[in-house]
Amino acid sequence: MKLLESAVGSFERLLPQRKSAPASWFAALMVAAALLLLPFTLRLDGKPHADWLQFLGRFHPLVVHVPIGLIVLVPLLEFAGDARPSLREAAGFVLGLAFVGCLAALTLGYLLSYAGGDSGTDVTRHMWGGIGLTISVLACMLVRPAWTSGSVQRLYPAMLTCTLLLLAWTAHQGGSLTHGRNYLTDYMPALLKRALTIGVVQAKAPASNSFYARHIDPIFLRKCVECHGESKTKGDLRLDSYALLMEGGKDGPVIVSGHSAASLLLKRVTLPPKHKRFMPAEGKPPLTAEEIAWIKAWIEQGASPTAIRLAGIHIGGEDDEPLQPVGDYSKLIPGILALENGQGAKLLPVSNKLSDGLILNTVDVAASFGDAQLARFEKYAPYIVEAELGRTAVTDACFNTLATFTHLRALHLEGTRVTGAGLRTLAGLSQLRYLNLSNTKVTQAQLAPLRSMKKLRHLYLYNTPAQPASIADAGQPEGSNAR
Amino acid sequence: MKQHPLCTDCEQALDVLALPVPAELKREWAELETRRRFLGRTGKVLGWAALASLIGDKSLSVEAHAASDAGASAIPSRADLKLPYFAPKAKRAIYLFMSGGPPQIDMWDYKPNLAALFNQDVPESVRGTQQLTGMTAGQARFPIAPSHWSFNRYGKSGTWVSDLMPYTGRIVDDLTIIKSTNTDAINHEPAIMLMNTGNMNAGKPCLGSWLAYGLGSMNDNLPTFMVLQTQLNPKENNQPVSSRLWSSGFLSSEYAGVGLRSSGDLVLYLSNPDGVDGEVRRKMLDAVRELNQQTYEELGDPETHARIAQYEMAYRMQTSVPELADLSREPKSTWELYGEEAKRSGTFAYNCLMARRMAERGVRFTQVYKRGWDVHGDVTGVLPQLCQETDRACYALITDLKQRGLLEDTLVIWAGEFGRTVYSQGGLTADNYGRDHHPRCFTTWMAGGGSRPGITYGVTDDYSYNVVSDPVPVRDFNATILHCLGIDHNKLTYKFQGLDQKLTGPSPASVVQGLLA
Repeated sequence: MKLLESAVGSFERLLPQRKSAPASWFAALMVAAALLLLPFTLRLDGKPHADWLQFLGRFHPLVVHVPIGLIVLVPLLEFAGDARPSLREAAGFVLGLAFVGCLAALTLGYLLSYAGGDSGTDVTRHMWGGIGLTISVLACMLVRPAWTSGSVQRLYPAMLTCTLLLLAWTAHQGGSLTHGRNYLTDYMPALLKRALTIGVVQAKAPASNSFYARHIDPIFLRKCVECHGESKTKGDLRLDSYALLMEGGKDGPVIVSGHSAASLLLKRVTLPPKHKRFMPAEGKPPLTAEEIAWIKAWIEQGASPTAIRLAGIHIGGEDDEPLQPVGDYSKLIPGILALENGQGAKLLPVSNKLSDGLILNTVDVAASFGDAQLARFEKYAPYIVEAELGRTAVTDACFNTLATFTHLRALHLEGTRVTGAGLRTLAGLSQLRYLNLSNTKVTQAQLAPLRSMKKLRHLYLYNTPAQPASIADAGQPEGSNAR
Repeated sequence: MKQHPLCTDCEQALDVLALPVPAELKREWAELETRRRFLGRTGKVLGWAALASLIGDKSLSVEAHAASDAGASAIPSRADLKLPYFAPKAKRAIYLFMSGGPPQIDMWDYKPNLAALFNQDVPESVRGTQQLTGMTAGQARFPIAPSHWSFNRYGKSGTWVSDLMPYTGRIVDDLTIIKSTNTDAINHEPAIMLMNTGNMNAGKPCLGSWLAYGLGSMNDNLPTFMVLQTQLNPKENNQPVSSRLWSSGFLSSEYAGVGLRSSGDLVLYLSNPDGVDGEVRRKMLDAVRELNQQTYEELGDPETHARIAQYEMAYRMQTSVPELADLSREPKSTWELYGEEAKRSGTFAYNCLMARRMAERGVRFTQVYKRGWDVHGDVTGVLPQLCQETDRACYALITDLKQRGLLEDTLVIWAGEFGRTVYSQGGLTADNYGRDHHPRCFTTWMAGGGSRPGITYGVTDDYSYNVVSDPVPVRDFNATILHCLGIDHNKLTYKFQGLDQKLTGPSPASVVQGLLA
C-alpha cells in the first residue's frame, strides 16, 4: 500500500513540473494509442503487399540496431553521470534519439511483415514487443526530467530497467524469426542445457507409419516449416500438419490430390531456382530431386495421410514387407572372425545395420564345406538370414542344423547332394522366402511339406525331377519354376 | 634425398659454386647453406609443427598421424566404409555394354508415324540449336530415315520390340526398358567414359571399381570385377575400347577390372610353364612377395601392396579360372538356350554364358563389351548382323539367370554410350541409310536385382529426338544402379584432389524411383 501511495505521490509531483507538461503528456498518450491501434487498423493478413513496401521493410534488420544501441547506452550514461555530470546531460538526448530510432525501426518492421505477408506467433510477439518498447522509451523520456530534478527517485530507474528487459525479450523474438528458434541453444554445451532444462529438440518420431508421416512431413519439417510453421507463417500457409497443409494458404489449396501438375506446392519447388517465386525462398536449401519425386508420387497417388506405401517409390532400407530384425551380435564378431580364419567360409553382413543380419558365404571353400563345417555355424544361427550353400558338400544331414537358423530368409542348396527327404525340417523356418534346389534330386512329392510355409515365395527347381510340374502344384503364390 | 634402390645412376653432387652463374646467385646459395640458417629454419618449422598439433582439429592430426605411421593406412580401407548402407536387392551386376551406340529407333523406340515422313527434313524446332558431330554438321539436309524393320508387341506388357530381336521380345516382361536415357557427350570416347566413370575425362574410377572398392569380394579366388571382350566382327564399324574403361582411376589398382582374353587362353601364362611345378611357382611368388614388402617398407607406396595382392590373386586364379572356363559339365539345355556359338570363346553368347558362371561363383561385377554398334552407314546391312550376334544371348542370359534363381539378386544392365539420329547420315535410299551419334535420347534396359520388371520408362518425341518426359541422365542411371546394390551414391566417396569424388560427379544426381521394384 505504501508503495502505491508513494507511486501516486510521485506522479503528483511529476505533473506540475513544467508548464508544457500537459501538452507533452497528451501528445505522448496520442502516440501510444496510435501505436497500440496500429495492428488493428492495418492487419497482418498474411498476404504479400506492394513490392516497394517490402523493399523498405527489408531495411528493418539494419535500422533496428540503432535504437538497440542507444537504449543500452542510456543506463550507462546515467551511471557514469554520477561521476561526470556532462554524461548525464547527454543521456536525455540519447533517450530522445532512441525514441526516434524506435519509431523508424517499428515502421520498417511493420512494413516488412505487412508487405512480406508474415504472420505467426513469433511475428506477433515481436511486433507487440516493438510497440511496447517504443511506448516505454517514450514514457522514460517523460519521466526523466522529474528524476533529474530529484522530485521522483525510483520510478525512472524502474522504468528504464523494464525497458531494457523488454528490449532483450523483443530482440530475442526477432532473432528467432531470422535464425530459427534453436539458434542460441543448438550448440549449447550439453551440461548447460541440462542445467537450464532445455529439452533437447529431437527429430520427433513419426506419428504413424504412413508414407506422409515417415517421408513427406519430415521434408516439410526440414525445409519449409521455418517460414511456414507456427512461429512464422508466410503467405498464410502452414505445412506443419496434414490438416494445415491441405488447407493451403492465401492462394488457395497447395495440394490437389491426384494432380501433381495442378498442385501449387510442387510447382513452386520445381521452378527454376532463380525464379522470384521459387521455394524455398531466399537461398534456403532447396528440395532434392528425390524429395520432389516423393512429394510428386504422393500427390499423384491421392495425397493420403494414411497410405503406407506408394507404387514405384522404394526407399533404401525399407522393404515391402518389414524384415524381421536379428539380434545384436556385435559381441560375437571376434568369434566370427576367428571361425572365418579357420576354414574360409565367411559371414558377411547384409548391410551396415547389424539387425539386417549375416550371409553365410561358402563359395571360396565350396568343395570342402560339408555338414560338419555347417554345424560349426550353429552358434551364429539366429543371426544368419541367408545361407549360400550352393555346390557345397552338404547332404541331407544339413537340414537338422538349418532348422536352427530361425531367421533364415534365403537358402541356396543348388547343386548339392540333398535329396529333399529332410525338407520337412525346414517347415519351422517362418521367415524363409527363397529356396533354391536347382540341380538336386528333389522330387515333387518331397515338396509337399513346403506348402505350409506362408512366406516362401521363390522356389527354384531347375533341372530337378520336380521341375516339370512346377511350383504351381505345390500351391505357392507367385510361384513358378522361376518366380 | 635417398636414392631409389633401382636407380643405378650415381652422379656426384652438383657443385653450385663452380657453375657459370652470376656471383649474386652464388652468394645467395652460400647463405642458404649456412648452419645458422639451417638451425633457424628448423627451429621455426618445429615451432609451427608444435603449434599445428596444438590447434589442429582432430581429423587433421589423425590423418597426419596415420600418414606418417604407414602410407597405406592413410587410405580409407574398405572395411571402414561399412557397406552396403542398406540391405540391397542386388548382390552383383552384369553390364552388357553395347559400344558404339545402338540405334534406338531400329530396336526399341517404335515411331510408326515416321514412315509417312520418309525423306522429309527433321523440323528445325526439333533439332533446336544442337551442335552436331563433324560427320553430319555439314549436311545440307537432315532427311528422316524411318526404321527399315517393323515392330511387334511382346509379353503381358505389350512392349513394342523390333523384328530384329525376336528372342529379346520373349523376355520383355522381365526388363525395365528406359527410353529416356540421355548423355552430355556426342562422341565415343567422352560418352563411353561418362557412362562408365561418370566423367568425360579419363582418370576416374569406373562403376565396377567403385563396386569392388565399396562392396568388396564375395569370392577370394576370382577378381571382384571382370571384363569380357567380344571378338571383333570385321564387317562392323568397331570403335576402340580401351582398358581405361575398367581402370580404377585414383582408387587402388586392386579394384581395377581384370580383362579376360577373347581368344586362346582366357588369361595369358596362367598355366605353369614346362618344368615349373606348383611348388617352384609358390617359392618364386614368396620370394617376389618378400622383395615387394621390402620395397614397400622403404618407399611406402601403397600400390606395392596392390601389386602383392595381384600376384596372390593370379596364383589363386591358376586353379579358379580353368574351373570357371571349363564348360564340359554344362548340360545340354545350356547349349539349347545359348546356341552352339556359345561354345566358341570370344563370341557374345560365350561371354554371356561366362557372365552367368561368374555370377554363380560370386564375381561382384562382370562387364561384357560388344563393339560394332557405330552404324554410320549401311544400317540395313550391318544391324541384322549385330542383333543376330546379341539378341539370343541376351535372352539366354536373362532366362538362364531366372531359372537358376540368380536374377533376383543379379542386376543385368544393357546399354550403349548414346543413341543414333532419326535423320540419315549420307545418302538415304529406299532400303538403306546411316545414322549419326545422338546423345539426347537412347534406350537402355535393366533386369533383375531390384529393377521393376515389365515397364517402359520415359517418353521421347515423335522423332525419337528429344525426351518428352521422365528423362534419365547418365548420373541418375548410375545412381540407380548403385542403389540396387545397396549404395547411396552420395555417400560412397573418395577424397582425391581436394574433392569428395563419387561416381555420379558433382552435379546433383538422384535415384530414379520409377525404375525400382
